[in-house]
Amino acid sequence: MLALLDVLLSAPGPKGFFQNPAYLLGIPLVALGVLGALLALSPVELRWPQPVAATPAEEEVEIIVEGYVPASTYLTVGLILAGITALEVAVYYIGALHGALLGILLTLSTLKFAMVALWFMHLRYDSRIFTILFAGGMALVVALLAVVLATLGSSLV
Amino acid sequence: MEQARTAPHALAPTSTGLDNRKLLMWLFLASECLFFGGLIGTYLLYRNRSVGPPFPTNTVYNGVHYHGVFDIPFTSISAFVLLMSSVSMVLALAAIQRNNRRALRMWLLCTAFLGMTFLAGQAFEFTEFYRAGLTVHSNLFGTTFFVLTGFHGAHVSVGVLILLSLYVMASRGKITHENSLNIELAGLYWHFVDVVWIVIFTVVYLIQPT
Repeated sequence: MLALLDVLLSAPGPKGFFQNPAYLLGIPLVALGVLGALLALSPVELRWPQPVAATPAEEEVEIIVEGYVPASTYLTVGLILAGITALEVAVYYIGALHGALLGILLTLSTLKFAMVALWFMHLRYDSRIFTILFAGGMALVVALLAVVLATLGSSLV
Repeated sequence: MEQARTAPHALAPTSTGLDNRKLLMWLFLASECLFFGGLIGTYLLYRNRSVGPPFPTNTVYNGVHYHGVFDIPFTSISAFVLLMSSVSMVLALAAIQRNNRRALRMWLLCTAFLGMTFLAGQAFEFTEFYRAGLTVHSNLFGTTFFVLTGFHGAHVSVGVLILLSLYVMASRGKITHENSLNIELAGLYWHFVDVVWIVIFTVVYLIQPT
């Protein structure tokens, strides 16, 4: 696999637009995504063979179910996450904050991690067993990192 | 047209009261924590120990100044794209929980598109690094960086395939409000891939040795 990657990337001479493997891979992927998005947004319905005959009435019915998180909550969390990401990058470029960079970035990163896990992965609303499982895995990771880095003499900075 | 309906009971007919598939997914994600924890730990362990260029950031080595290969603005956009894909994924789940199948299909495709955009960005970044002389066997930084981010990219690729499969299933009418757990499970996997990138972006790209 690595040898194949080497062969693909080691063509001699300056690489033109269509010789760049990144574009060769990226353009079809992006084009496929754009095509899919256009199909999804277009009024024309793609009709696949329907194994179960669904009546048009059933298709149109939108259900209001109590107990589910409203989409507006997810959008709010998404906006906050985008803001925190922008803040992270801004902090990276502010020279005056470099002394506290490690603490600030780790705090912001932990905040983002927690928000995604609590709201998007529903740990805030779901059974505590899932929280214990996930937190257990995370605790093992933190312990592993602490022991390995402390023993072998490396650190975050 | 809207129709009111009571919420489905969360308790599954199992000894734990939890759906076994969901329990298994969380167990899988817990094991994945350790998998990526090991890779991130290896990266940190060997950070700043490369004995030759290229280096991740601007470095003076043996009296020679070397430009770093990291492009923080570009990677920030990639991180933002993946973060927004988590938003669209959770909106897909919210749509099917309201039995809005058209919105489900739209958000699934949107998520897959954002995932593919992230992958395209990663392919571009890898190519740029290669052209700067960084390969998996050029130095310790190259080895640990490509293994870590490569495995993450592989996880995103699997996620995109899952999303596209779900889109086809949804288009065939096989995903409804009653079996929305399929979307929830795929969402859990996708959000996990996102939180892993949150950690990688901060620890690998933003926090640099002084």
